[in-house]
Amino acid sequence: MKSFLLSVMLLSGILCFAQDSYQSIILKKELTEHANAVIRDENIQIEIEDVDKMTVTTKRVVTVLNKYGNGFVRAYDFYDDGDAKIKSQSAYVYNKMGAEIKKYKQRDFKDQSAVGSSNLYSDNRVSYLDYSPMSYPYTVVYESEVQMSTTVFIQPFHPVDGYYVSVESSKYQLKNPNHIPVRYLEANLDSIQLEKNNTDFEISYAVKNIPAYKYEPYSPQISEMTPKVKVALNRFSLMGVEGTAENWKEFGKWQYENLIKGRDELYSSTQAEITELVKGVETDYEKAKLIYEYMQGKTRYISVQLGIGGWEPILATEVDRVGYGDCKGLTNYMKALLASQGIKSNYAVVYAGDEQKDIDPDFASMQGNHVILNVPGIAEEDVWLECTSQSLPFNYLGDFTDNRHVLLIKEDGGEIVKTPNYECDINLEETLCEIGLSEDAFTASIKKQSKGIPYGNNYHIQAQKDKDQNLYYKEVFGNLQGIHFDHLSFENDKEQASFSEELEFTGKKFYTTAGNRILLPLNFIEPEIDMVSRNEDRLYPVEILRGFTNNDQFNFKIPEGYAVEALPEAISIETDFGSFKLSVQSSQDDPNILVVKRSVSVKQGQWPAAQFGDFREFLNKINMLSNQKAVLVKNG
Amino acid sequence: MRLKFYLIAFLLVGGAMQAQNYKFGKVSKEEIEETEYPTNKDADAAILYKKQYTFYDYNSTTGLALITRYHYRIKLYNEEGFDWATVNLNGYISGSDEEKIYGIKGYTYNLEGDKIVEEKLRKEEIFDEEVSKYRKAVKFTMPSLKPGSVIEFEYEKRSPFLTSLDDTELQSTIPIKMMEVKVEIPEFFGFVSHYNQLASLFIPIDQTKEPFNMHTQNNEYLQTVYSISKENIPALKEEVYVDYLDNYAARIKWELQYTKFPNQPMDYFSHTWEDVSKSIYDDGGYATELKRSNFFQEDVDAILEGAATPEDKLIRVYNFIKSKIAWNEYIGFTAENGIRKAYKDGTGNTGDINLLLTAMLRYAGLDANPVLLSTKSNGVPVFPTRSGFNYVIVGVQFGDQILLLDATDKNAAPGELPERARNWQGRIIKDEGKSDWVYLLPSYKSKELNYINFQITEDLKLKGKFTGVYNKLVAKNFRDQFKGINEDSYIEMLQDGKGDILISELTKENENEIGQDIKEVYQFELNNGVEAIGDKLYINPLLFLSEKENPFKAEERIYPIYLNYPVEHASTVNIMIPAGYKIESLPESALVNMNEEDASFKYLLTQSSNFLRLETSIDFNKSVYAASDYDHLKNFFDEIVSKHSEAIVLSKIEETTDESTQLTKGRR
Repeated sequence: MKSFLLSVMLLSGILCFAQDSYQSIILKKELTEHANAVIRDENIQIEIEDVDKMTVTTKRVVTVLNKYGNGFVRAYDFYDDGDAKIKSQSAYVYNKMGAEIKKYKQRDFKDQSAVGSSNLYSDNRVSYLDYSPMSYPYTVVYESEVQMSTTVFIQPFHPVDGYYVSVESSKYQLKNPNHIPVRYLEANLDSIQLEKNNTDFEISYAVKNIPAYKYEPYSPQISEMTPKVKVALNRFSLMGVEGTAENWKEFGKWQYENLIKGRDELYSSTQAEITELVKGVETDYEKAKLIYEYMQGKTRYISVQLGIGGWEPILATEVDRVGYGDCKGLTNYMKALLASQGIKSNYAVVYAGDEQKDIDPDFASMQGNHVILNVPGIAEEDVWLECTSQSLPFNYLGDFTDNRHVLLIKEDGGEIVKTPNYECDINLEETLCEIGLSEDAFTASIKKQSKGIPYGNNYHIQAQKDKDQNLYYKEVFGNLQGIHFDHLSFENDKEQASFSEELEFTGKKFYTTAGNRILLPLNFIEPEIDMVSRNEDRLYPVEILRGFTNNDQFNFKIPEGYAVEALPEAISIETDFGSFKLSVQSSQDDPNILVVKRSVSVKQGQWPAAQFGDFREFLNKINMLSNQKAVLVKNG
Repeated sequence: MRLKFYLIAFLLVGGAMQAQNYKFGKVSKEEIEETEYPTNKDADAAILYKKQYTFYDYNSTTGLALITRYHYRIKLYNEEGFDWATVNLNGYISGSDEEKIYGIKGYTYNLEGDKIVEEKLRKEEIFDEEVSKYRKAVKFTMPSLKPGSVIEFEYEKRSPFLTSLDDTELQSTIPIKMMEVKVEIPEFFGFVSHYNQLASLFIPIDQTKEPFNMHTQNNEYLQTVYSISKENIPALKEEVYVDYLDNYAARIKWELQYTKFPNQPMDYFSHTWEDVSKSIYDDGGYATELKRSNFFQEDVDAILEGAATPEDKLIRVYNFIKSKIAWNEYIGFTAENGIRKAYKDGTGNTGDINLLLTAMLRYAGLDANPVLLSTKSNGVPVFPTRSGFNYVIVGVQFGDQILLLDATDKNAAPGELPERARNWQGRIIKDEGKSDWVYLLPSYKSKELNYINFQITEDLKLKGKFTGVYNKLVAKNFRDQFKGINEDSYIEMLQDGKGDILISELTKENENEIGQDIKEVYQFELNNGVEAIGDKLYINPLLFLSEKENPFKAEERIYPIYLNYPVEHASTVNIMIPAGYKIESLPESALVNMNEEDASFKYLLTQSSNFLRLETSIDFNKSVYAASDYDHLKNFFDEIVSKHSEAIVLSKIEETTDESTQLTKGRR
């Protein structure tokens, strides 16, 4: 009886303590500023029991300050049948005074397939907390224990996992009683309150009081600025396939031996077909091009995550038969087709997406979310192939995989190389417009050419239906009223990766009148510049991932009976970030034609935060100067 | 002559029949060679043939089963159409009962030279997925696709849910060349078919009686056979400002009115809206749920203390529930957890929350009743079916007015509904299950009133003050979007798209006082609002408030245009003309009415001494406009955009005047 009382007292004591600490009205100001949520207390413990056995114990206490912070609760874990098992899961919800309002045991969590709509198949599942907040702030205490056999992925220490979330306390510990060799790599740990206690085999970090990061336009990816420690084992297992690696060479070798090797055999009939296809073609470059186009015509992209946790490509013969595959399957298939003609190529693992995320050259671990093909030695520079597209030109990557470090998985091991960069003067869009003006209408004829990155953004339009093309251009020329297209034509020069558009259309009144004057806006097509707000306290560097050049010429035929009264002066601006030129003059051949030439060039690069004001001024000038008007006045 | 005519007609029919063989596997070369759909060359794919056969199967050991067999033959004209080769079949699960998919068989057909080559869909390419506790999925994608491929697949769905027939879909977003549908319903099930009356397409349905085969000796039971055979069904067309495209597809909904099994009495369900409402009232446990009050009496007594008027009581109870119970984002017209449990747990579905609200309002002495409705995604209830409703709100009678409430939406004031619930009309159910229609679209007008005062500084910047007053649904919309956002992010959003602007001294009033007008005030400095060309200044007086684009771009329109709610957007701008300048020219004032009172636009500029005043307003007096009004609406917007782009021109006052101003200054 006595002991019962004691335990009740102890429990209630703990409960009281818990309530106090999860009160959210006492949060420090530095943590609530710019924050939608505060990570109050995160504690991740990873115990490596063996090369193929580890347990991750998570405690995550998050106070959500408003509805935008709901996504930071992250009270869920993934699992699948063979590999990861959730041993326990629980959650408690507290109101702003710290009083418990809800309790969830493991069976109260919702279970759902984690396939997602873009995947046809994957055996991942997720068990998640389904809580509808009643009022803000509230606090969720989530605890879980997950046991897994795959140890090739070790969750990194990454306390700040997004903008607008602050961290009061976050701890990370890796226990390794069997002393399996471990590596780690730190980033951005300066200037934060940090406790670190690492030994040869064990890792331990604790951080406190990190204010929320606030988004700033034209800044580097947040993941490149937040504190992070990557961790990997030198002996590991992926769905039962064990390996040993300390560096990219060894890691790539293991991937080659276990995931890629021997999956590129072809039916002899296919081989014969390819041999026939390239018969008489002299260079390997030309052969590879023909084979790429063959592959594009024969296959399509379907995501099916099967085989060693979704890391193994489907057999080349299988892709050959069904005519579809995911990025791994299609790349491996293309590799096999090239190999049948003696052309060597490399399976290349990459992070796809326009943010240009690198495979970390300094830290070998399982990375990447996409696969492309690298073909060396058939041209001056390596050739790169995106095998999931049915329409991209040969050797064109575009902004999906450009300018970043990738891992080549070669027979003799891994190698980190960089994909091609599209420079400012390659990313070129040139437009020539002839515009006829009358009292309440205008006619326009436009010729436009796109190269480099803009090629990849624009060439899709030719495959669209008439109706969708119409709507697309009406959006593009949103500043023009009542437009009606008489003619649209396209030319896709895949050889040069150059796309031409020719448009003819009419529209309603383009200029405005003021008394007996016409105000003629010279901005017939607006420059593609995203304006930015003033920010006197800019924190992060200014980053432009891809430069570009736009050259536009607008020839306005001025309405009968009018003469030019005033024109903006010609101007040319050079800055660190790029240049802008504008000239407006009457044509020498025909005084009734007003020729506007505009050139905008923005450079690729990174500049210190202190230069943000200059950068903003540059963008503003482009916008302001482009928006100038000519004044025409009625004769007599 | 006549004979000849018959002969030709006969030959033509015969020819057409020969060209198409719809037996599984009998794909013709012509079908693979076809490069575009004859009457719709924009189609990326077309259903060449769709067959659906639904029937009840009787087995003496397992009893009745509801079986539907599907057969699809689909033409993929180009790569954009390949999505139609990935198939996702859903089966519902309820406890130990579940719908099951059997006998999936599929082939892809291509031409190689002159020969048709077929590729089989293999077993290992078909994936089963347990999506959640309530849903299973079977997924596959067809192999060996090329532009031009024809794919074909068939499967069977067996359902233990005998009294619920899926909607029979008769139209798709791609054209259907030939469709055959047969639905056989034995006399035990009193199903009535309802054709979607919003569909612009009509498809005739043939109805006959046949014996129902129970594999027994004395077979005197009948079944009703519904058959459809239809060629060239056009695709549904996509447009902007549509409430829900799927609402306009041709389809049959099935409503169970009664069951009558052998040797059992008839069991009636519903056949008028009155019956539907009554049956929901009875089965939904409304009578019992709405009478429960013991568990909340104490709390409600406390909050009602000192409340004098019914309006005061209503708002207290309504706010109390909103603060006490969170919506779990599930909808339904029944209390999923029961109102007592929902009250205790602080969470519930729409049924839990709004029935609890009804019960509490009644306890407080108000004439409150549940209002059944169909959300936008559930379609418009035009024929009496229980599945025509999927949501419940509350209607409170005040004299001859009914005030609508939905406590699942924290930002809605009494009389305001979330967008999902603003769908045509609902059914208010009074005691004993008596019911009547209530209109759900707002009859009142919501307003957005903007005021700007600005002046032009010597260095040609615009400095001024903005005041915005947002009322009713405009205010609700504002709260839905911005309530709780931190100020920095909000100012960034405000500045976005307004040019080279700096916004400061922002204040917001009543943001959290649901139902009250929101007032937002800030100071601004705009660097690029004036253009100086020669000795003249050009200024668009509306600054960043002008409408710059016409949202209606397509040439034609099929469906009604949803603008959500009647609204007035009004702006008043006061401009101080800078010293040394005079007005050179002003935009002309304008007044445009669309269809008399449906919408109106006003633009009025007046000058008094050195002040200019612009009043402009856009009034939409309806929530929904007919498709036939599309051209008017499009032209109406063109007028607005054109007027909103016009500029005021100021010119420098001649030298002499300039000097005199300076002199005046000097004297002071």
